[in-house]
Amino acid sequence: MEPSISVPGLPTQGLLLERAAFAYNELWVLRETDLHVPRGGGLLVTGHNGVGKSTFLFLCAGLLPATTGRVLLDGHGPHVSTPSDLVRAGVRRGVLFDSGGLLSNLSALNNVTLALRYHADVFGLEEQEIARRARAALSELRVAQTDFHALPAHLSLGVRKRVSLARALVLEPNFVFFDDPDAGLDAPTRKLVYDLLERFRDDPKITMVVASNSRPLIERMSVQIVELSHGHLLSKAGSHGPTSRGPSY
Amino acid sequence: MARLRSTLPYDPRTDRIADAGWLSAIGRSTIRWVLSADELLHTLSDAIASLWTPGVAARSTVKRVIVTQIMYTGVQALSLVSVIAFLLGSSIIIQTNLMGSADGELLGKVLVAVVLRELAPLVTAIVIAGRSGTAMATELGNMKVNSEVLALSSLGIDPPRFIVLPRLVASIVSVLVLMIYFSVVAIGGAFIVAQATAAATWGSLYSGVSRGVMPFDLGLFLLKGVGLGAIVGWLCCHYGLQVKSSPTEVPQQASRAVVMSLLCGVVYSTFVTALFYWLVGPPIR
Repeated sequence: MEPSISVPGLPTQGLLLERAAFAYNELWVLRETDLHVPRGGGLLVTGHNGVGKSTFLFLCAGLLPATTGRVLLDGHGPHVSTPSDLVRAGVRRGVLFDSGGLLSNLSALNNVTLALRYHADVFGLEEQEIARRARAALSELRVAQTDFHALPAHLSLGVRKRVSLARALVLEPNFVFFDDPDAGLDAPTRKLVYDLLERFRDDPKITMVVASNSRPLIERMSVQIVELSHGHLLSKAGSHGPTSRGPSY
Repeated sequence: MARLRSTLPYDPRTDRIADAGWLSAIGRSTIRWVLSADELLHTLSDAIASLWTPGVAARSTVKRVIVTQIMYTGVQALSLVSVIAFLLGSSIIIQTNLMGSADGELLGKVLVAVVLRELAPLVTAIVIAGRSGTAMATELGNMKVNSEVLALSSLGIDPPRFIVLPRLVASIVSVLVLMIYFSVVAIGGAFIVAQATAAATWGSLYSGVSRGVMPFDLGLFLLKGVGLGAIVGWLCCHYGLQVKSSPTEVPQQASRAVVMSLLCGVVYSTFVTALFYWLVGPPIR
């Protein structure tokens, strides 16, 4: 079992890709890249369909192992088999999957409480507090009480995404990775997602990476934008946000 | 301030080894086989290593998953195992009776050799592989397709500990317990049919069974139960997790999981039988 490592001499806060590359068999999604998004910074990744935005996002989140190089979150190298090491090291990730990524055999409420229960000793939570937090997160995302005990298959895409957001939110993450967060959502749910993203963007403790091609989202986010094209990250001119916390080259 | 640098590394497509005929084909097959074996071993070793991963709350969460899996794998298979065990026990008596002059004590010894040592472990493992192994592989395959395994990782939940370990433990416990249950029902069925067909008296059968059971049978029974349970749980989890992103891979991997479980199960069972008879020595009279 490989423990998370802290690397001296490198930026220890935020997201760091050090000569990281990723390939599916012979197809290079990301060629050797150095990237640092500091704590509190945001990055929005665009690119054509199928170019590998989601894969890039999962690579940044440490969910996929880099083919070469490495990815560090607050100085800790994630290990695919033992992601709990990161939680014990204080790295909490909130990931929103394109399709929701909810566990299909658990109710909406249990999807949200699962990680809290699993790490109850690390977070110092009692059962009552876990239930209270999960219900509060679901209510904040406007998930109806009647949907709390429904299985994901019985929920609409919009509700599934909101449950998935609640699951990410409840961990009080210091890294958020959102994949197409507004895809397939109606106007009220989209607004809810945008408000949440802006909250994460403005939080100095949260490092955020979003993959999307949505014009309204790009306009609202005001963070550094890069385009993923043929395995390269290309800076998009004039995309710096109003704050100095966005990444630069 | 942040920085980003994207460089142009080598292109692997231009670095491909030129096709040098049959020799390179053997080389490629060998590399593929070694990589597959490595992944297979990693599935098991990561699950076993997760026993030592810290986390009291995680441990109790995993215990609950183990109990649920034992329900699905073991308890829900009881009725199917009952029917198969009863009918197989009865068939052995009928077949032995058809041969003519078998006495009750010999019938009892045959029951021990066939049911206890061979059929109980193997048939139970076949039932678990066919009934629960497919379910495990399909469930895990669908979890991969729906990004549920990635979602677990993103929540800091270790997939080997939360997914593989409970199914492995449940499979071992279920095969062991169902083997005992199978043996009891099969021998019970044999007693009933022997009495009904007047093939043998209960007393002579009982004497044959009690004389047929040897001290080494406990070791054989445990080794077969634990090994077969582990093989089914391990291979079905492994092949389920081999699904990449397409739903069409799910039935393919589920089928592969069951076929490999059965093949490896039969090979393992035969190997353990041969090993024990080699260790024990002369034939049992």
